[in-house]
Order: sequence, then C-alpha cells, then structure tokens
Amino acid sequence: MSDPLSELNPVTERRAIRVLRPDSPSEAVSLARRFKVPYMAGGTWLQPTHERDQCWPEKLVALNAAWPAFRGLEDDSRGLTVGALTSLSEMARHPLVREYLPPLALFLNRVAGPGVRALGTVGGNLAVGGDLSALAMALDVRVDVLNRTGERTLPLSRWLRERASDDLLRGFTIPDCRGWRISLEKLGYRERFSPTRATLVCVHDGDRVRLAVCGEGGLLRLVAPETFVNDRADLASGDVGAVIDRELAAHGWQDAHLRMALRRMTTGLLSEVALGT
Amino acid sequence: MELKPQPGMAETSVLERIEGRFGYATDQQHLPGLLHGAILRSRHAHARLLRVDTSRARLMSGVRAVVTAADVPGLNRLGIVVRDQPVLCEDRVRYEGDAIAAVAADTVEQARAALEVIDVDYAPLAVVDQAETAEQMSPLHGESNLLAREAFERGDTDAAFARCAVIVEHHYQTPRQMHAFMETEGGVAIPDNNGGVIFRVGCQSGHRDAEQLADILGLKPSQVTVEATPTGGAFGGKDELTIQPAAGILALQTGSPVLIHLDRFESCRTGIKRHPVSMIMTTGCDRQGRILAHRVDALLDTGAYASLGPAVLENFLDHATAPLYRIEAYSVSGRLVYTNNGVSGAFRGFGGNQATFAVESQLDALAEKLAMCPLALRRINLRTVDEPGSRGQVVRWSAPPTDVLAEAGASPLWAPAVSDARRRWLTGTGMAMGAQGNGLGDGLPDRGGGRVSLSAEGRIRLEFGFSDYGQNLAEAITCLVCETLGCVAGDIDVVLGNSRGPDSGPTSASRSSVLIHGVLADILPRWKDRVRDQAAVLTGLPCDQLYSGPGGLFAGGRQVLSYRELAEKGQPEQTRVDASQAFPVAPEGNQLVGRYLQLQIATVARVAVDRLTGRVRVTDLHHITAAGRVIYPPGYLGQIEGAAIMGLGMALSEDMPTRQGRYLADNLDQYIIPTLQDVPDQRVDVLDNTPTTDRFPVRGVGELGIEAVAPAICSAIEAATGIRVRHLPVDAGYLLAELCAQEETCS
Ligand SMILES: Cc1cc2nc3c(=O)[nH]c(=O)nc-3n(C[C@H](O)[C@H](O)[C@H](O)COP(=O)(O)OP(=O)(O)OC[C@H]3O[C@@H](n4cnc5c(N)ncnc54)[C@H](O)[C@@H]3O)c2cc1C
Repeated sequence: MSDPLSELNPVTERRAIRVLRPDSPSEAVSLARRFKVPYMAGGTWLQPTHERDQCWPEKLVALNAAWPAFRGLEDDSRGLTVGALTSLSEMARHPLVREYLPPLALFLNRVAGPGVRALGTVGGNLAVGGDLSALAMALDVRVDVLNRTGERTLPLSRWLRERASDDLLRGFTIPDCRGWRISLEKLGYRERFSPTRATLVCVHDGDRVRLAVCGEGGLLRLVAPETFVNDRADLASGDVGAVIDRELAAHGWQDAHLRMALRRMTTGLLSEVALGT
Repeated sequence: MELKPQPGMAETSVLERIEGRFGYATDQQHLPGLLHGAILRSRHAHARLLRVDTSRARLMSGVRAVVTAADVPGLNRLGIVVRDQPVLCEDRVRYEGDAIAAVAADTVEQARAALEVIDVDYAPLAVVDQAETAEQMSPLHGESNLLAREAFERGDTDAAFARCAVIVEHHYQTPRQMHAFMETEGGVAIPDNNGGVIFRVGCQSGHRDAEQLADILGLKPSQVTVEATPTGGAFGGKDELTIQPAAGILALQTGSPVLIHLDRFESCRTGIKRHPVSMIMTTGCDRQGRILAHRVDALLDTGAYASLGPAVLENFLDHATAPLYRIEAYSVSGRLVYTNNGVSGAFRGFGGNQATFAVESQLDALAEKLAMCPLALRRINLRTVDEPGSRGQVVRWSAPPTDVLAEAGASPLWAPAVSDARRRWLTGTGMAMGAQGNGLGDGLPDRGGGRVSLSAEGRIRLEFGFSDYGQNLAEAITCLVCETLGCVAGDIDVVLGNSRGPDSGPTSASRSSVLIHGVLADILPRWKDRVRDQAAVLTGLPCDQLYSGPGGLFAGGRQVLSYRELAEKGQPEQTRVDASQAFPVAPEGNQLVGRYLQLQIATVARVAVDRLTGRVRVTDLHHITAAGRVIYPPGYLGQIEGAAIMGLGMALSEDMPTRQGRYLADNLDQYIIPTLQDVPDQRVDVLDNTPTTDRFPVRGVGELGIEAVAPAICSAIEAATGIRVRHLPVDAGYLLAELCAQEETCS
C-alpha cells in the first residue's frame, strides 16, 4: 500500500472489498468460516445495508448460481424444491409456482421493486426474514443447508433458531401443496415497493390451518391461534383475535395498532381459506 | 372544460427525463481537469466546534484541496433573505447537515476518503428539538429562538365569536415533507481563468445565486456566472444555495473545475424541507352558516437557519385568513422558531397548503355541527369576484368562486362507488377548495425580464432567467411565440437560466408564466416591427405587406425572405429587444398586501379505506381549476396532476420526523413517497372566464394543484368512515383504532 493512511479509512476499505469467488459450495463454506465474512447472493440486501451503516466488510464470498441445485425449481415426490439462488422474478414467472403456489406470482409484485427482484434471490430473502419467510414458515418448508460439518436437511424454523454464520443455504423444499388453500397479504406503507409492516400467510392443508407472520415484529409461526382455530369446526367463527394479539405481543410485536390490523387481516384470510377462494 | 392528455403530448425532453437519458449538470464528468468535491457534515445536531484538523486529509492521495471556514474568501454566510447560515461552520454547528469542511480530489472516492480523516472535536450542546419549547431554550441565534412572529387582524374577533351560534376548535398538524426530487443537488464550478467562476448547476435563480456567490467568493458580481442548467426537479428545494459555495471555493483554490453531487443520503440529511406546522384553529358561524369569526394560532418549525421561513410564515398566515371566504373578523397569528431539526424553507405551496388543510377542515366541521351540506356552507360564504381579498386588498379572480364550487358539486365522483363483495373497503367522496396568489407578494420587489433577438444563424432566440426543472417552460414559451409570430417551433431557440442573460427573478411563487406572458406581449410586437423594417429594406416590399410566419417573412401568402437570409444579409443584432416588468400587483394606492392575481381550485377526492387495516387508497381526484388561460396544455395538466401527487404524499405517507434533532429517515426506502401505483385517476377541468382583452389573462399553476388535496382526502375519509383526521400524514393505525372503537359502540 503506497498510502499509509488508507488502513484507517473505512471508505478506501470499501474500494478494497475483496469478492472471493470459490469454485464449489464447500470451498465457499470454508472461506466464509476462515475469514468470518458473509455470503453474497444478489447483493441487494448487503449493498444498501452497508451503504447506510457506512461499514463495509473486508471480503465477501460470492455464491454461484451455476453450482448444482442452487438455482431453479423442480418437483418430485417430496414436493417442490427451489434453489436458493433463484431470483425473485424468476420465481414469480415459473410455471411450477403457478401450479403449487398460485397466489404467489401476483404477491411477488409487492415484494420490493422490479430491479431488486431481478437480482435478489429467494435464499437471500429467507435469510433476511423477507416476505417469503412467512410463507415458507406456514408451509413448513425444509431447508437444505451446507456447513463445515457437511450437509443436512431440516425444518426452516429449526434452521433459523440454530443457524451458524457459515451455514450456506442451497435450497428449500415445499411439501406437495397442490390443492391446499393459501392466502397471503402484505401490509406496507404504500401500494408497491414498500417496506413490509407485516406479511401474513394463512394456509389450509385440507386438514389444518397454519398461520405465520413476518415484518416489523419478526418472523413468527402463530402457534396458539392455529390451535385455537383448528380446534373449532367453523374456521370463520370464534374470536381468534384475542389469541393472536396475545401471541404477537409476547413475541415482540409492540405496535398495538399493527397487532389490531393483523387480528383483522387474519380473520379476513381465514374466511378466504375457509371459503376456498 | 376537461383538459385531456393528447397522444404524443409528451415532449422529447420529458421522455428523456423519464428514461434517464437527459443530461444534467452533474453528468459533466468529462470536463478537462475535473476534480470531485465532497463536503464534511456535522455529526451532531448541535455542538460547539472545538477543533477542525485537516492535516491528515491533506496528505491523502489524490487530494488537491481541503478547505474550512478560514478559507472562505468573502462572506461566510448564505441565505436568500437572512444570511445566517455559515458556508462552512466556524465555531458551532446547528444541525446535522451543517457543512464544516470540503475537499477536492481526483476521484469522488478519494474526496470522501479524505473527509473521513478530518478530525473534528465537538462539544455537544443541548438540542432544541421541540418547536413548542424552543423559545425557552438557549438561543441558536441572537437573543431568542423566536425568529418571527406575525399577526393579521380584522375586526373585533372576540365580539364576533360572542355572536356565533356554533364554534369549532381543533388542533392540526402537518408533516415535515421532503421535496424528493429525482436529481439530487449538484453541479460544477469552473474557474474562468480570469479569477472568476462559472457555475453550471441545478438551481432556481441564476441571477440571485450569482450575487450571493460573488459575496461568498469575494469576487465582483461580474466575475460570477451561473448557468441554471435544467434540473431533475426542484420544487423549492433548490431555491437556496446548495453545493455552489463549496464547489466555488474549491475551484478557486485548485484552479480546476470541481463537481459536487450529493448522494441521496446527504441530500436527505442536508436538504431543506417543508415547514411542519402545529396550529389551533377556532372558527364560528351563525345559525345560517355565515362565518363570523376565525382565530388561528400557529407554530412553524424553521429549523436551524431562517432560509425563507419568514416569507413562508407570511404566506401561511395569508392562507390562514381563509382568502376564499368572507369572514367578518379574524385574528390570525403565527410564530416561527429556530430548532436543531434540520432546515425548513421553500416548498411548492409555500406554507399556504398547510393553512388550507386546516381552514377547509374547519369548514367541514362547522357544516357537520350545523347538519348542513359542506358545499352549501361554502356557497354562502364564498366571496364574489367584486369583493376585495381577505386582507382588504384588490384581487383579480379568473372565475367566480361559486362557479368553481358548482362544478365541484357536479363531479361524477359523488356517485356512490361500487363496493367490494366482502365490504372490506369503505368508500367515500369529499372535497375542498383552495385559493392561491401568484407572485412574491407583500410588497417584496418582484420584477422579471426577457429578451428576443434573431441569432446570427437566423433563429428566433428567446432568453429568460428562469430555470427549467421539468416544468417545460421552453415549450410554453415556444407555444406563445408561435402563436404571436406565426412561426413554427423549429424556428425558435429558447435559452433559460443564464445569469448573464436577462434577469427574470426567481423561478418560484408561480410567477414565471405570468411574467413570460407579460414580457412576450411587450417584446414580440417590437421585434416584429424591427424585423419587418429590415426585411422591407432587403426585399423592397412595403413594410405593411410583410408578416412573419413559418421559416421567415411572408407577403401575399408566400415567403419572401427566410430568417436565415435575414440574419445573413440584415443586421440581426439590431433586432434584439429587451424588456422587464413588475409582477402585476394591486393598482396604485392599494395596500401592498396579499397577492393580486388569484387562482382557485376545488379538488374532489374519492377514497377507499380498508376496514381491516385502516390504510387509505385514494382512487380518484377531480380538480376544477380557475387559473386563467391555458397557454400550454401539457404543462398545465402536468403541473396540476404533479402537485396533487405531492399533496397526496403529504396527506398519506410523507414525513421526516426527528429524534434529538436528527432525521429518522435517510433515504427513499424509509421516506415514503407515492409511486405510480399510489396515484389515483385524475381529471383536471379548466374554468376560465377571462376575457380576451384581459390585461393579465395568464396565471402560473406550479403550486395550485397541491392546495386542496390533503383536506379533500380527509373529507373523503370522513365520508367513508365518520372519522376526521387532523394530523398528517394520515396514520392508518389511528384510523383503524377509531374504526374498531366505532364498531364496538355500534355492536
Ligand atoms: C429497496 C429494497 C426494497 C425491498 N423490499 C422488500 C420487500 O418489500 N419485501 C421483502 O421481502 N424484501 C424486500 N427487500 C429485500 C429483498 O427481498 C432482499 O434484498 C433480497 O431478497 C435478498 O437477496 P439477495 O440475493 O440480494 O441477498 P444478499 O444481499 O446477497 O444477501 C442478504 C443476506 O443473506 C445472506 N445470504 C444470501 N444468500 C444466502 C444463502 N444462499 N445462504 C446463506 N446465506 C445467504 C447473505 O450472507 C446476507 O447476509 C427489499 C430490498 C431492497 C434493497
């Protein structure tokens, strides 16, 4: 370095960000571990976050969508498998999404804007607790994760609880949900391209109802309200509101007005899945 | 008459802007020897500056100059009216955007890197972040944080209140709105090799900026040239100097052109905002609904420096007198206080729309108390065209206010909306009116000039000092010139915003169209005569047979001389005609108060309110405008619709709250402006009864569209839900809580 002062300078550091380009997923894992640096998929989250904080990592481990099973959608007897490096817009247009998750294509219009969707990946979205995480949570998806100890498949909820910084998400599998009734709704500050205040997902698998929410208060499977609803014959009846409110309040959803909106949105979504619309 | 968009109406420059191809001042990256500048901003909202050490920054690679307060060659102050803001702070910072030092380097990265190693020691001071208590806090300037207090009175307000049958009193709050122009502040300062500087910059008044910059740079006015290049939006946010002083000082120090372009973070943090207003309004009327008394007590947070705050206060108060309505007695007062909450200043509407929001809400409240139709209440109180304005001044309307109201009453939006199957969305329609005066007003010096000439290439050249920030003034000028001279757009060159050209005054206060129309009416006939005289000599034809037309001069239906031939063979420099005129104000002898040329708007809004979440969708806006003759239909439509969308943002989502004097949003992912998906269907009607002989048939419509949007939306929300919102932006949570409370009492 010719300039002795540059080390002191976070801005020149930024120019010196080294993007490491591993040849394989396992090399990616060892690099992330060795240097304690994050993975980069589309970079749409990392870039504005670092720019805002004016704090840039020294290195990034770039993920490669060409690695086997990291990109694209495929279905088999286990259900629908989605590669983590599939972009949000690819997902929105994919025919299998229309088959398995009919409301999702339209819903994705409300996730970020076209530019972010073109670059941003579904894996990145799950990793940062984006709108897809509530859907994935309600669908009980299983994630496919690599790390230094090898690879494993586990429920999303468990991964999120136990996640290590070098965990590399290869993809996730949605159970065969064709014929399930899924409704989801996002509450933002404006019609499109809004930060998420809350995204609520309600799934009826033919037997039981599952509810999940993400947004300002964090990702949450609404277990108690689910039980409350599933124990009753008529989904649309009964005051599930109070149960939802308690559950949300207990898990960090502080804004009482937002909880009130979620109560009412839940009732709305429940009646949709109950009516099968 | 409904003004409809025509196919192909968008001009090329508009498409270029939309598609990001338009060249702005900040795109001039290839000037020889160009350096990049960056400005060090305060880390504190309020602090003493103990030490600013630039020694390490000077050693950084690529760095060509580092300047601080000590390097300001002339006056280290800026401000259009009150010069109270340091160009580079000496011993104290008063908001988090305050500039402390500036760097010029070979690249932007190097310049920003150098900022990081400028060592600044601060001693934090108590932050004045509440306008309500600002006057009790230790002063940011001079003796007190009260920058201005003003009151307008008429009649005996107490006595008038005593006679009222109904009185309503409410508190209103409006947000700190950001201009959110698409092109952030920027430009380039270029040394002219003679000790002077040329600025190419997005700004609102080249001439005025040149004067301030000469003082700051310690130069003679003749040594500073400002070319106000077309900008990507300004809306008042580029009225004050932005990057010019720092760029100019650095250009003088280095002898090289210096470009500074703020990124969005810096723009959010440092840029001027709309004044948040907190006000209590009390209004009373008799049993029949005639308004007798009106009282306003308002507090405006002007932030760390005065900027145009005092003028905003005056315009706010003018609008708070409810200029459309006949009111026997009023007492309207406001205080403008300094705080450490950024800086507030000029913004489309200029204080007026904040007042109108409350005034119109008050009228609805009175109507509700009297169980009277809000339109009927307005009808009996509206002024006639023969009456003076609310401050006793002579005013000039372009249509009777009751006609505007009648059109609003006939809007198709009053028909009930089709409701959704599940009855999730509650729909409602409401309206509000607004009036606005053109010009700087209140006796401020207000003149503007322009020039026409035939260029050496044979083009009809029109020059004005106004800036183009997307309102497409050039097209409006071209339309008017073609109409008068019979020529075609291809014959004309329009040159705007050069401080060496004619001084037109600032591009603000909806004044440009009025002055352009007035000046053209003066200079074009004179130019025509001069051109004809020369053509007569060249062609041998009698003067009175010659007339201008497409491409040249005509006689008996055929072109006898092209403009190019005229320029080549004649004396084009002799055709130059300059004129300047005073902005139309009330005739001699009248008090110099208020605005003379008045415009009106009635906005009808239809909204849908989500019963489940409280969120509001504005589905339709119908504007009935009475703003004189339409000289350039796409411009008129664009201004009304565009301003209305800004009003929509102010009503529903835009605010820049502060904590400890620091803005809580720093970019457009947190500061929520409407996107196309939030924009309702809009219809713009024009009501114009100005006779062709009228001396001032044209008005400026740059601000009119924003005037009545927020109260119309709130009135529609009330129609949909029974809930009146008086604090903006509308809080969906509040609305939802009220809806739930209503349901509980109903069930
Ligand atoms: C302006 C803007 C608006 C937005 N609006 C919305 C919105 O409305 N709704 C919404 O849900 N989201 C929104 N987002 C977030 C967006 O969905 C995410 O930025 C995007 O999905 C992240 O994907 P990426 O590939 O770009 O992730 P990156 O930015 O590359 O990475 C994000 C994080 O995830 C980690 N990561 C990424 N991929 C993997 C992987 N395979 N394994 C392990 N870790 C990984 C990275 O290490 C990093 O920590 C918005 C983002 C922006 C910039």
